[in-house]
Amino acid sequence: MNWTVNDLHIILVGSLCAMACALPGTFLLLRRMSMMGDAISHAVLPGLAIAFLVSGTRTSWWMFFGAAVAGILTALFTQWITRFGKVERGAAMGIVFTTLFAIGLILIKQSADHVDLDASCVLYGALEYTPLNLVTLFETETSIVQIPKAAVVIASTLLFNIIVITLFFKEFKMASFDPSLAKTQGFRPMLMHYLLMTMVAVTTVASFEAVGSIIVIAMLIVPPATAFLLTRRLSVLIATSMTVAVLSAVLGHLSSQALPYLLGLPETTSSGMMATAAGFLFLLAWLFGPEGLIKKQTGELEKPPELELED
Amino acid sequence: MKRLLSIIPILTLFASCTKKEDIAKTDGTIVTTIGMIADVVREIAGDKQEVINLIGEGVDPHSHQPLKSEVDRIQNAGLVLYNGLMLEGKMGSVLSSRKEKGIPVFALAEGLENVELIGDQAHPDPHLWMDASIWAKVADAIGVRLSDFDPENKEHYGSRLTEYQKSLTDLHTYALMAFGTIPPDQRVLVTAHDAFSYLGRAYGIEVRGVQGISTESEAGNKDINDLVAYLVEKKIPAIFVESSVPEKSVQAVIQGAAQEGHQVKIGGTLFSDAMGAPGTYEGTYIGMMDHNITTITNALGGGVPQAGFQGKLND
Repeated sequence: MNWTVNDLHIILVGSLCAMACALPGTFLLLRRMSMMGDAISHAVLPGLAIAFLVSGTRTSWWMFFGAAVAGILTALFTQWITRFGKVERGAAMGIVFTTLFAIGLILIKQSADHVDLDASCVLYGALEYTPLNLVTLFETETSIVQIPKAAVVIASTLLFNIIVITLFFKEFKMASFDPSLAKTQGFRPMLMHYLLMTMVAVTTVASFEAVGSIIVIAMLIVPPATAFLLTRRLSVLIATSMTVAVLSAVLGHLSSQALPYLLGLPETTSSGMMATAAGFLFLLAWLFGPEGLIKKQTGELEKPPELELED
Repeated sequence: MKRLLSIIPILTLFASCTKKEDIAKTDGTIVTTIGMIADVVREIAGDKQEVINLIGEGVDPHSHQPLKSEVDRIQNAGLVLYNGLMLEGKMGSVLSSRKEKGIPVFALAEGLENVELIGDQAHPDPHLWMDASIWAKVADAIGVRLSDFDPENKEHYGSRLTEYQKSLTDLHTYALMAFGTIPPDQRVLVTAHDAFSYLGRAYGIEVRGVQGISTESEAGNKDINDLVAYLVEKKIPAIFVESSVPEKSVQAVIQGAAQEGHQVKIGGTLFSDAMGAPGTYEGTYIGMMDHNITTITNALGGGVPQAGFQGKLND
């Protein structure tokens, strides 16, 4: 094991990304739309294809733009299908992303089969490579402080998410738990929903571009799900979910370096281990949490607390 | 929570602070992306340079999973040589970002003189190594880069390059001779994905891929049916699988042809995007090409020795 500033940068980007995803992920969980990240990861394909057909290049900006538009459309279409097609949200997401993915495949087959145009080639970044692309924060005569460019991108996304959720906390809460009540109080739950979905789409695509897909999909789902086993108060839920996210990133990278080393195996990927660590934390919460398996076995289980609107 | 949020950036800033003179510090190693480049660099450099290759054998460059230790290696590299033309996907742009640090980084397949690339202008096919005469030009380019990188050993590299060029010429001649022994109406190479266009053009053999150029694209039904009809009509005896691509779509073609009453066999496994295991003959550029040429020739009804042109193939 060879500890360098790169490890720190990977943990930094990983933690920021985990938090940026866990925040909107909490609301997705409450709306039973956790698979949105996975859906978007497939649905970006037609966006990439159309961006390529329009621009004729595979440069990052065009690909990002196409993917972001496709991501937002996925969210919008899902909502429309849920509303007008009267199917539940999971099925609506399934309809939207498979259709979009298929359209992407057809577009590529018809017009761009001669180039390599898949998301893993032109869109997804790699968490492990983020320390290679640095920006300088400030410098003195002899020293210089640099952080990965991806950290700046994702930190901005995180900041944006924090600001939006802080500003509309009451509205989001109401819209998540009781849309009809929210409506009678003039909170416009639909608008909140579209805002949330745009947030998810932008966060997801920006994170795909910066760090790749697996960690993003995992962090949208697992930390909020873990937190949900531990608490039902919304503000605590968000805080716990972000903490679990950061813990997963830190533990994940450390174990990607240390565990294989201790076992005499070759090193493994950090992003994969971060997702695995999140799963491990979920397992712990499920076993030892207030509603956990252990409590159930020993008969100590209390009645699970109801969702609380009060804070 | 808020405390946690504020501790992270402060800690990071502390630890990200580095001395200016350390930034461009390298340990002088040469980092390459694919085995085909690493092998040529090793042939030319001999024991004068340490070469680290990132994408291992049997791995499709598109689905390479990066590791943290690679980042350390790239950061310490004194010279970075990669293929380019989007073969390495986004990794290419990551590598070229090292230029800003003053580290020499070169995309070898880009900007070659007197090489006509296949595919449309903006997005050419990146699999140049399939034509030994083009890869010889890449070897020249590697020779120039090595001499610029380490001028002290310029002569050493020059003479080793001349030696190596002889083998590459032999390889090219052998390929021309070998494919010439295949009956003309059976000179059709059907493989899983489109990685062999340069081989086809250089050595006069028609190339058909079951799926498109991307290893993730999928073959449509019509593609497979067209291909089956073609194989049956031309009575092509064999098609090929690749070490780095699943053989699912190739199996579909074989079954399709069998239903039409035409027996097609798998002619062998070819090396397309990745070479054989390190330390073996197939783990070198010449060995991998020899393997491909010999396998294709013998499966399609030509006649060359099973052991290949240097007598080193052991299957």
